[in-house]
Amino acid sequence: MQKKKSNNVFEKIYMGIIFVFMYAPILTLIVLSFNSSKSRAKWGGFTFNWYIRLFSDSEVLNALANTLIIALIATIVATIIGTVTTVALVGLNRKTRAVIMGVTNIPMINADIVTGISLMLLFRVLHFNTGFFTVLIAHITFNIPYVMLSVMPRMKTISPSVYEAALDLGARPMYAFRKTVLPDLAPAVVSGALMAFTMSIDDFIITYFTKGSGFDTLSTKIYNEVKRGIQPEIYALSAIIFIVVLGLLFASNRMKNVKIKPREMDERKAKGRKVRLIAATAVAMAAIVFLGMLFGGVFSKKSNQVYVYNAGEYIDPEVIEMFEEEYGIEVIYDEFESNEIMYAKVAADNAAYDVLCPSDYMIAKLIQNDMLYEIDLDEFPNAQEYTGPQYFESAQAFDPGNKYAVPYFWGTVGILYNKTMVDEPVTSWDVLWDEKYSGEILMQDSIRDAFMVALARNGFSINSTDPKEIEIATQDLIDQSPLVQAYVVDQVRDKMIGNEAILGVIYSGEAIFTKRENPNLEYVIPDEGSNVWIDAWVITKDARNKENAKLWIDFMCRPDIALMNFEYITYSTPNIAAQEMIEDEDIRTSEVAFPPAETLKRCDTYVYLGEEGDRLYSDAWKKVKSAN
Amino acid sequence: MFNNRKTSTVMSSPYLAWAFIFIVVPLGMIVYYGLTDDSGAFTFANIASIAQPEHLKALLLALELSLISTVICFLLAYPLGMMLAKNKMGNQGIITTLFILPMWMNFLLRTLAWMTLLENKGIINGVLSAMHLPLIHIINTPAAIVIGMVYNFLPFMILPIYNALAKIDDNVIDAARDLGANKFQTFMRVTLPLSVPGILSGVTMVFIPALTTFAISTMMGGSKILLIGNIIEQEFTLSYDWHLGSGLSLVLMVFIIINMIISAISERKESD
Repeated sequence: MQKKKSNNVFEKIYMGIIFVFMYAPILTLIVLSFNSSKSRAKWGGFTFNWYIRLFSDSEVLNALANTLIIALIATIVATIIGTVTTVALVGLNRKTRAVIMGVTNIPMINADIVTGISLMLLFRVLHFNTGFFTVLIAHITFNIPYVMLSVMPRMKTISPSVYEAALDLGARPMYAFRKTVLPDLAPAVVSGALMAFTMSIDDFIITYFTKGSGFDTLSTKIYNEVKRGIQPEIYALSAIIFIVVLGLLFASNRMKNVKIKPREMDERKAKGRKVRLIAATAVAMAAIVFLGMLFGGVFSKKSNQVYVYNAGEYIDPEVIEMFEEEYGIEVIYDEFESNEIMYAKVAADNAAYDVLCPSDYMIAKLIQNDMLYEIDLDEFPNAQEYTGPQYFESAQAFDPGNKYAVPYFWGTVGILYNKTMVDEPVTSWDVLWDEKYSGEILMQDSIRDAFMVALARNGFSINSTDPKEIEIATQDLIDQSPLVQAYVVDQVRDKMIGNEAILGVIYSGEAIFTKRENPNLEYVIPDEGSNVWIDAWVITKDARNKENAKLWIDFMCRPDIALMNFEYITYSTPNIAAQEMIEDEDIRTSEVAFPPAETLKRCDTYVYLGEEGDRLYSDAWKKVKSAN
Repeated sequence: MFNNRKTSTVMSSPYLAWAFIFIVVPLGMIVYYGLTDDSGAFTFANIASIAQPEHLKALLLALELSLISTVICFLLAYPLGMMLAKNKMGNQGIITTLFILPMWMNFLLRTLAWMTLLENKGIINGVLSAMHLPLIHIINTPAAIVIGMVYNFLPFMILPIYNALAKIDDNVIDAARDLGANKFQTFMRVTLPLSVPGILSGVTMVFIPALTTFAISTMMGGSKILLIGNIIEQEFTLSYDWHLGSGLSLVLMVFIIINMIISAISERKESD
């Protein structure tokens, strides 16, 4: 007896440990959702703020609605197709059945990434317009097997005799099926549907590859947010999802317990319960669809749109709303993490976006591969009047004749450092190789910028295509990688503000922004020189809304708008009128925002290196990334 | 249905068409892209590129981390499954549900939770520094990726093992004990073999997603550590090389097929 007891205690402890392992992380998310401090390590007091922000964040609500609608429709379609097919399988011969089951097993066993990629290839080759429907098709495809594998075992146990008897007694096949087979099948169908719904809601990878432009489910939205730097609204969202799931599971558990003795219930009560259940389900579905129509706009595709693809955190969100209001054009706004990611997307589907904002060298690449639409500057009165001619002049370097691009912002690349945590003055890229700062360095997760640092440090051209120089730079980056905390893009600013790292490679505009939030941060362009870049608006060749795209670009060049954007993201604006309107004297004369000529002399622009050069860099980059 | 071949064929044809277009054809396209180059000429180069040091390294690391994660998941889940299956009375339904519940949270949110905990200035270090204990630096290392994998996929191991163990008839165990087997013998020769199907499906459900993930390694590894999933993802989203990406996917499928064969063989042995 004694032994048994100690055994029990041991079991309880063991279960307790796993329980804590599974729930502690979720609990922290919930606690953090009430933390008024943005920093995760500090408790800044209790707040409901993040919940309020969450409910005013239409993008997240949109994604939530999309997730629910996709899951719901995919589940219904998959359940119907899956059930009908499973029922039919009984009547087929062995061989056909084996083939069908074999094919059905493929999406279950196959890795999600392969399924996702295979569907993406299909949609791209067939020139499907990726978005809601491609995601829906993908979800139906991977949901059907779950339904079939759930219904199959039950179907095998059903004897045909009752059904045949019904037919003999004059019932029509459909009626006989409904009355004899379906009731036995129902529990398996329901559990298959539930499984499908769960899988659909939880899916990230397949959606990621099939979603296309301007469409997000919760999973892809969260992935984007995480890459950008975690916002506390996401904690609030996790808390809500957890509570809802918890509630649903306990409710379903109670229902199951009741169901154990249905025979003891009198018929009418059972019927009443059934009716109520069906009614509740119907109401829930209606609510979901309504929600989706409200937020998702899935069924209300407006024709007057413009698809904008911009770098992350690169516009004042209010500007988007102002544009929508003034022109009555709906803006579908997506963000990319790096020029290379943007290129892969646009190369795969040129019409995915109408207007892009790439950097200089990438514009050259786009032009060379004939992916851009030629513009006439006369159609952009604001750009002609307010954008400094010297910037159009510089743009000629990558866009000869100014035929494609309208400058948006420009800036430099440098080191952002926390002056309280660095001993010596930071003047050289070499500091990023100083072992003292091991684990405290953030590098850009962008090929050209990472190599620029290593090339400049060695005194090579930042546009080098000399394999020997690239090799030296690659080796440098490999040597550096143990010291690097992480390769990130937009996260640099959050991490630097939160004192998560001491040194980070960053673009000049972020310097002013981060300094506002954390006065200890300082930005420097190292002596060895760096990169000066121009980002400019271009229109894709196959854009569906070219006129709207033109309106968008010229709107960005309006002085008040350029000023709003400047004050929000603090990169150097090429808009002369906006420059003069900057109220803050410190910023108007800031050397970070508007570096003096002698600093710029040290800086070079990136040049497009051609296909071979690109390969050289991307192969080298892979070597760096897989070094540790 | 039921012996009516014609109706059955008609009823199953929509799915057959669907499966052909959206399962078979897309896979065929991966094979096509994987075996051709830019000009459409046949080549093995994309598949052979797995031998490139950086690809091989990513594959081996992915294999290593996913195997470690699978073993850890198994070691954690099996005892738990036994405990859950043993307490067949009372509110065990609720308890079992609680262990599977995290599966219903969005997978990225689950990973995000661990990011928050493990960051250098994260919760765990916050607590440790408050207690004047040495800080941990796990985030952005392979260990963090393993934690992320184990945490995300553990319910997928618990559920099938629990199901298999719960199905074992108590009388079988009692019979073994009556016939003189001790606890250990009973476990080794009765319980364990009977739970093999559950273990196998648990292993598959953990191993395959762990082997092919790219989100967990990106989030927990700070983009510093590339697994084979990251390499494939980047060929499509960054380098824009569908041929290479497809070729590497084909290599990945070899491991999936190996896993399938191992499962099938073990299952057949079981049923013999």
